Amino acid sequence: MSQPIKCSLCEEAATVHLSQVVHGKVTKVHLCEACAQKGGATDPAVFQLADALTTASPAPTLTCPKCGFTDIDFRKRGRLGCPDCWETFGDALGGLLLKVQHEASHVGRAPAGTLPAGQLRRRLDDARREMEKAITGEDYEAAARLRDEIAGLEQQLAHS
Amino acid sequence: MPFPGWAKVPQRKEIADRCVEALDALPKFRRGHVLRMGELGDRDRAVLVERHLVSKELAAGKSGAAVISRDQTCSVMVNEEDHLRIQVVKAGWHLRGTWHIAEQLDDALGGSLKLAFSDRLGYLTACPTNVGTGLRASAMVHLPGLCLAGHMDKVSRALNQDGLAVRGWLGEGTEAAGNVFQISNQQTLGLSEEAILKHLGGWIKNVVEQEWNARRKLAQEEGEKFVDRLARSLGVLRSARLLTSSEAMNMLSHLRLACDMGCLPEERRHLVDRLMIEGQPAHVQARAGQELDSDGRDRRRASVVREALKDFPEVVPPTA
Repeated sequence: MSQPIKCSLCEEAATVHLSQVVHGKVTKVHLCEACAQKGGATDPAVFQLADALTTASPAPTLTCPKCGFTDIDFRKRGRLGCPDCWETFGDALGGLLLKVQHEASHVGRAPAGTLPAGQLRRRLDDARREMEKAITGEDYEAAARLRDEIAGLEQQLAHS
Repeated sequence: MPFPGWAKVPQRKEIADRCVEALDALPKFRRGHVLRMGELGDRDRAVLVERHLVSKELAAGKSGAAVISRDQTCSVMVNEEDHLRIQVVKAGWHLRGTWHIAEQLDDALGGSLKLAFSDRLGYLTACPTNVGTGLRASAMVHLPGLCLAGHMDKVSRALNQDGLAVRGWLGEGTEAAGNVFQISNQQTLGLSEEAILKHLGGWIKNVVEQEWNARRKLAQEEGEKFVDRLARSLGVLRSARLLTSSEAMNMLSHLRLACDMGCLPEERRHLVDRLMIEGQPAHVQARAGQELDSDGRDRRRASVVREALKDFPEVVPPTA
């Protein structure tokens, strides 16, 4: 008798089989019921995640010095072991991050409401551009909100 | 500290103790509730899930905890996929106001706990799909018009293609009972919170507009059949002796649509909303004060709904 196909994310028997055809290239992902339900097999982003996890070229074995989590564990679970794992697996995860998130660096807030200086400057540039666009589009409510944000950012930068 | 999914039992206990202590000290949770999943029975945990106060994942484990504000708008889950998951839910259209509360909570927590953050990657989460802002902004919308018109698949695809996820009534991996959907952002890295809210808000406005167009078109094209459909649902809900959860949800969705369209008085909508929640399996059992099998739940649900709707007015042609 043939062996049942195993889930691409854990070791359970797969019952959900996804096929994706891009430019004539067929990629298949097999999931057990629990992983499929958890991720939502109909959710394209999850498909991309499963795709990235299962088709990535075999990476050298990496182990997080802090928690002992390895790249093999990541392939099984799709989640990291501890915050320090991001340091250990950061480079290896670069491609996956781009696939799942389409971006590689954070531009949002930081704990306790302060942004690090580099991000503050980036956000300030964006906010200025957005304000100009809002004024051109006569969206004065958005422009006023952005004006306040810009003033706050300038103040934070002056004190950082 | 390892993420809960990788942490050992004593580490998870330490995470729970430290986070609960920090949360319990915040003014937002004064006279609120601290619930440890390991101390609750199956039914109580299921009620919390049905009320959207905790996720299915948190309820499934023993080491999770939830700290819930007295007004039940804020709940912070501890030891879910990540150490902390702040959830703020508000009725109505308050995307920014809701975010503002979550932001304040995050600031307050940052004062007492060292949160895992990197300048380059933002908030460090267990799953790469959440890293960055860690923000999942979500709107729960009732879309019976788009469902009845058969347009929901098309709308879902359009939302998916523009980076938004469409999920069911209870979030990830659940069915869209009662034509209620949760629409949320997928991307958490490389976009500011402001940009995420703006993107989601723009789409929700668009979807709501399409929903109203679908409703008006249905009412106009179907005429009497449209009113008949809503009136039949009221008839069944008022008379049925057995009601399954999905049957009740779908018919209550029709009543909600009727309230929105002026076929039933608008002020009755809050009762319909309440029945949608109280008709869920764990709520039915909690109200009965006992475990019930499937038939028992259907019987009890039908009786609760019959009682609540007994003096409901008749459905009339739409005014909206």
